[in-house]
Amino acid sequence: MSKRKASEYQSGVKPIWCPGCGDYAVLNALRQAFAELEIPPHEIAVASGIGCSSRFPAFLNTYGFHGVHGRPLPLATGMKVGNPALTVVAVGGDGDGFSIGGGHIPHAARRNIELPYIVMDNNIYGMTKGQPSPTTPRGTQRKASPYGSLEDPLNPIMMALAYGTTFVARAFSGQPKELAAIIKAALLHPGFAFVQVLSPCVTFRNTYQHYREITQPLPEDFDRTDLMAAMRLAQETETLYRGIFRQDESKLGYVQRVREMRAQVKPLAGVDEVVEQYAR
Amino acid sequence: MKERAVLTGKHFMSGDDACAEGALAAGCRYFGGYPITPSTEVAERLARRLPEVGGVYMQMEDELGSIASILGAAAAGARSMTATSGPGLSLMQENLGLAVMLELPCVLVDIQRGSPSTGLPTMAGQSDVMQARWGSHGDYSVVAYAPWSPQEIFDLTILAFNVADRFRVPVLILSDEVIGHMVERVVIPPAEQIPHWERKGPRQPPPALDEPPYRSFQADEDDLVPPIAHAGEGYRVHFTGLTHNEIGYPEITPETHDKLVRRLIAKIQRNADQIIRTEGYYLEDAEVVVISYGCTARSARRAVREAREAGIPVGFLRLISLWPFPETQIKDLACTVKEFIVAEMNLGQMRLEVERCVQRPVRGVHHAGGELITPERIRGAIQEAISR
Ligand code: SF4
Repeated sequence: MSKRKASEYQSGVKPIWCPGCGDYAVLNALRQAFAELEIPPHEIAVASGIGCSSRFPAFLNTYGFHGVHGRPLPLATGMKVGNPALTVVAVGGDGDGFSIGGGHIPHAARRNIELPYIVMDNNIYGMTKGQPSPTTPRGTQRKASPYGSLEDPLNPIMMALAYGTTFVARAFSGQPKELAAIIKAALLHPGFAFVQVLSPCVTFRNTYQHYREITQPLPEDFDRTDLMAAMRLAQETETLYRGIFRQDESKLGYVQRVREMRAQVKPLAGVDEVVEQYAR
Repeated sequence: MKERAVLTGKHFMSGDDACAEGALAAGCRYFGGYPITPSTEVAERLARRLPEVGGVYMQMEDELGSIASILGAAAAGARSMTATSGPGLSLMQENLGLAVMLELPCVLVDIQRGSPSTGLPTMAGQSDVMQARWGSHGDYSVVAYAPWSPQEIFDLTILAFNVADRFRVPVLILSDEVIGHMVERVVIPPAEQIPHWERKGPRQPPPALDEPPYRSFQADEDDLVPPIAHAGEGYRVHFTGLTHNEIGYPEITPETHDKLVRRLIAKIQRNADQIIRTEGYYLEDAEVVVISYGCTARSARRAVREAREAGIPVGFLRLISLWPFPETQIKDLACTVKEFIVAEMNLGQMRLEVERCVQRPVRGVHHAGGELITPERIRGAIQEAISR
């Protein structure tokens, strides 16, 4: 039994989210994962961008950083290398992460920076009241796409796998136990962990029922080290698989890479040392 | 490691290298940057040197990531820096505003080149002066220093970190390609002689769960600067670019907003004496005063010295800090001076500031960028002003 309770991670600020928003489940799951891992709140830093889900840090009793739109990953990266002892978590939404901030994911993956990135994907811009996002299905009609959106949606799992992300998972706010278990695994991963949470926006795009119907757990015999198998299942859109698609602990994380490099650095000789060498 | 960080001794060094060494001597242990001419050598030197002293150098994916990462590192307690040029500074503006709003200490080095747009990547300019001051949206204040030699970029980079930490404000080193690529003698003092101003830390232990929350944005009355608690130090801190109260939580009201923004500006004004740096030559009896900064100040000094030798009553005011603008000093000079000349490698950005402060004619010697303004051109302007 954990010595800590999920309520210890509560800040006392009431979430601004609409009743029923999928993000509540993510907040609860993260608190529960922190408690189960017994991480003291002050040793955790949570970085976010802009959007409904990015209000996240205010609702946690940890160090929190609600930054500008699209930059939670470099912000979190700076925090992690600034103090590697911290447990750093980056959070945000699909607009923040895949549109304005989309350029940062491949580089977090290349670095294998030791932090989980939880994207609450509701397939819509919720805070600005329902414009199409990078994961909105094509043809979706809203005020800003009155004739139906013309772009195809991204497949975030395929994208993360293609970038070489060492931990890739999909969870659903409607499956809170599984969600907490996945977040816990992401927190334990010694590298960059990408978690797409299907987190419905009840106000502008309520997909709870839809996801209940089309999601199912990855097959029991699924091998998390088999990249091609992961890609095959990630491509499926009629059925959306939930679970950990990839878990590869063979690559060093960024902080470890820095430590290894430092151990090998030989300072360049100063002028005096060079003169000394030739003096003999 | 300390001795590796401060390369005490006499060196022959470029301005970009001296800037990097100044950062290391000041205790900078994180650099996040993106390659851009003519600032790349700052990054390259730090890429080699930071791992030697236990620091981290990261080449980020773009300038937006660079500045976001240094803000993260600052919140985690590190002295952190980025270096760029005009186009990169444009990309950093949103996060620069965030640094102001969150009062996160950090240093941004801008080795200016000919602008606007891609402009003259390999040639000098001084036209980011107003971008540095007003480039992000909203009312705010920043600090910017303009070195005129490799030695001074070393010294001012240290000052930049000290001012950033002491007053919780982003500080810019607004240098230029001439100084960045010029190689001159740089003397690095012993480590114990490097000035070090501390960040103010919290004065009470972290509150227990049942106690009122820690007020991470409660400013001290004397200097208007709130102490800073870093991630991992035990305090619950909430940073948000939204208008926030003293606890750090969003408080979206006109009253809170007006109070916060006014304090952020007043904080710099209140402490201006410790931030502003200028240097005056022959000012006592000067009828005409030349004002200049950065690389152009080198030409200006020569022009003024030669004019003095010819018996012309001209003085020279070198702006070392551009922001905050040394308004009081220039207003005082205007009591006795008949005319001002502003020499700068842009089309009149600082001339506007001087005009704002003085009821005297202000003559500009300008060039849009790419080549140094010669002493002869400034000499000519002095001649015209005197014989007017
Ligand atoms: S608008 Fe949508 S995403 Fe935003 S809080 Fe409401 S339900 Fe959640």
